[in-house]
Amino acid sequence: MNSKKSYLIILLLTLCLFFSAGNAMAEPVNITFWHAMSGSRLGVLESIVDGFNEANPDYEVVPLFTGSYSETLTKYVAAYPSKTGPNIVQSYEVGTQTMIDSGAITPVYEIPGMLGETWDWAQYVIPITNYYSVEGNLWSMPFNSSTAMLYYNKDIFEEAGLDPNKPPTTWKEMEEYGEEILASGVVNHVYSTGWPDWIFEQALAIHNHLYADNDNGRSGLATKVVFDDDFGNMIFDTWTRLHDKGIYVFGGSEYAPNTAFNSGQIAMLIQSTSSLAGIINAADFKVGTSFYPRFEGYPVGNSVIGGGSLWVTKGQSEEELRGVWEFFKYLSREDVAIQWHKGTGYFPVSLGALKTLLDEGWFSQDQAYLTAFLQILSGRRDTAAATGVRLGPFVAMREDFVSSLEKALAGQLSPEDALNEAAEKMNLKLRDYLELHGQ
Amino acid sequence: MNEDKFPGHKILPYILIAPSLIVIFVFLIIPFAQSIRESFYTSTAFGTHSIFVGLRNYVRLFASQEYRSSVVTTFKFSAFVIIIGLAISLGIAQLLNQKIKGVGFYQIALIWTYAISPTVAGVIWASMFAPATGLIPYIVSKISGYSLNWMTNGDLALFIVAAAATWKMLGYNIVFFLAGLQNVPDEFLEAAQIDGAGSWKAFWRITFPLLSPTTSFLLFVNMLYAFFQVFGLIDIMTRGGPGNATELLIYKLYRDGFIHLNSGSASAQSFIIFFVISIVAIFQLRIATRKSIYSR
Repeated sequence: MNSKKSYLIILLLTLCLFFSAGNAMAEPVNITFWHAMSGSRLGVLESIVDGFNEANPDYEVVPLFTGSYSETLTKYVAAYPSKTGPNIVQSYEVGTQTMIDSGAITPVYEIPGMLGETWDWAQYVIPITNYYSVEGNLWSMPFNSSTAMLYYNKDIFEEAGLDPNKPPTTWKEMEEYGEEILASGVVNHVYSTGWPDWIFEQALAIHNHLYADNDNGRSGLATKVVFDDDFGNMIFDTWTRLHDKGIYVFGGSEYAPNTAFNSGQIAMLIQSTSSLAGIINAADFKVGTSFYPRFEGYPVGNSVIGGGSLWVTKGQSEEELRGVWEFFKYLSREDVAIQWHKGTGYFPVSLGALKTLLDEGWFSQDQAYLTAFLQILSGRRDTAAATGVRLGPFVAMREDFVSSLEKALAGQLSPEDALNEAAEKMNLKLRDYLELHGQ
Repeated sequence: MNEDKFPGHKILPYILIAPSLIVIFVFLIIPFAQSIRESFYTSTAFGTHSIFVGLRNYVRLFASQEYRSSVVTTFKFSAFVIIIGLAISLGIAQLLNQKIKGVGFYQIALIWTYAISPTVAGVIWASMFAPATGLIPYIVSKISGYSLNWMTNGDLALFIVAAAATWKMLGYNIVFFLAGLQNVPDEFLEAAQIDGAGSWKAFWRITFPLLSPTTSFLLFVNMLYAFFQVFGLIDIMTRGGPGNATELLIYKLYRDGFIHLNSGSASAQSFIIFFVISIVAIFQLRIATRKSIYSR
């Protein structure tokens, strides 16, 4: 090779090196963010992330859809030993205790201090932050919070000769309305619910009834479930009876029953508030919303928070942590929280956003968006039963619950036996968890 | 290694087989050994802390009514997929082997199902049977007034899932049976015809025995399919429900290991499945090689 040519090559290589170094200096810090938002939620999330990246050229949040909540958690667990996990991971509320006990997490309340800042946590909606707090300290960033409420099809109500502005308030009315609607022949079934496990937890909380001991696992690890009593049996009896009458149609887990409601096959749906925007867009009828139905004569509690929150992986560089924190502050910004709420139906988590929405008349435009708020803000929040359940093996326990409910509905087991079976299986899981994590 | 076979190449043969050996060790032997070890422990979700529990994971599985019924479900399901599936496929393959007009179209149309991913197949079947919105419950309720809900009827759910799994495997089975049938020499069948055998007799006495290598191969592949590969279908359609009615062993393993993050129990289950499947496989291969007619 002649020397001229080799000089040229060396020169080129040096230039390459120089430019790449220059690029590296201007390169933003990557913040990886694993989430479980699919469907209409995904688009809203992505536009929020794009907004952050544009406003903060120093950081680049890279969102990655990692499947359902449980798949996301599985991936996060798998990535943990090799330290290849994300900076931020979204987890559902049932994963809360697992995350707290994992040792893989930096609690969010510590982050401002680590960066030499202070932050007022009271600016968030209290029932939401309560759920994710341990001894008053917030562990994960509230992001997509929802609760369960009643959706109903006003057109079907009218066709069946019912007042479309009088949705059922109690389970007794659910039954009466159900019988009337069935008799009118407008639909074959009257109502269904998403997340049957969570809907049961709501039924307990809304009547201030504990799910597990040690204050729902909030004052210490729970050792056993306590819903297998008269009250629990009554709920199971009611649901089984309504099912036998054809009023309640079991529509599967999560969001599967929404299709039946959206297409006018059923008149009512008990579902997460996060489905609101999706349902309003999909339905070609007038959608009504109301509070979760009550059992008359039982104490008042509150509906509990569901959905997900954002967890921060431990052991990040200060630079990355700052990026994470900037992103969290961005999510709390009024306009962003409002964008998220309007796009999905999840609660806007900050009080400022709530006021702005009120001022601009959003809630009077569409009252459906107010229902869930009034529900959680009007309930009590001073008891563990009304704050929500926190259990280590909660994911597996919920499955035990659903399979028992299915057995009761199919008539395979009596409601009481089914509930006892669920409790027994769940208690074993709680004991195993205690054995591993016990104090 | 016999040195005379590869004169002057002492190390080369080892180097040549090394890649396969490394793959087998890294991806099969080591994980297998690890999961046997883990089956004696109980661990936290993130694997940060484990306790040795001896045989407890196994004892609990065998004591659990749920696990035993999952074994029964798996055998019922496999029997359906293997027996009904192979019988229908053979019937269809026989029909497709006729010299009729447009047979190429029929062949492709029926083999098609194998090209569909489990997810798509699951979604198709699940929406066909969706309780409130599906076509089939609608037709059934119009005809008989009976409301068909496989989300609360376990036997029905198992049947539908098994039917979907069988349907999904039809194409694969038909391809092999068709190839086998086309290898049956026409002279044999003609000779039988001349000897006065009817087509039914000719099929059982000549075609079916000559097909036996194909049949025993398909038996084995379908068994593996029914045990291990229907996971996607189950996950999309029923997630093991209602009330564990469609919880096959492989699906239960997945739920316990990856959703409930209980690696101890999942490892014990994987070892049990391994054990069961090895025995069935040995048994089946022995019978198959003894009974099959490989040469004619």
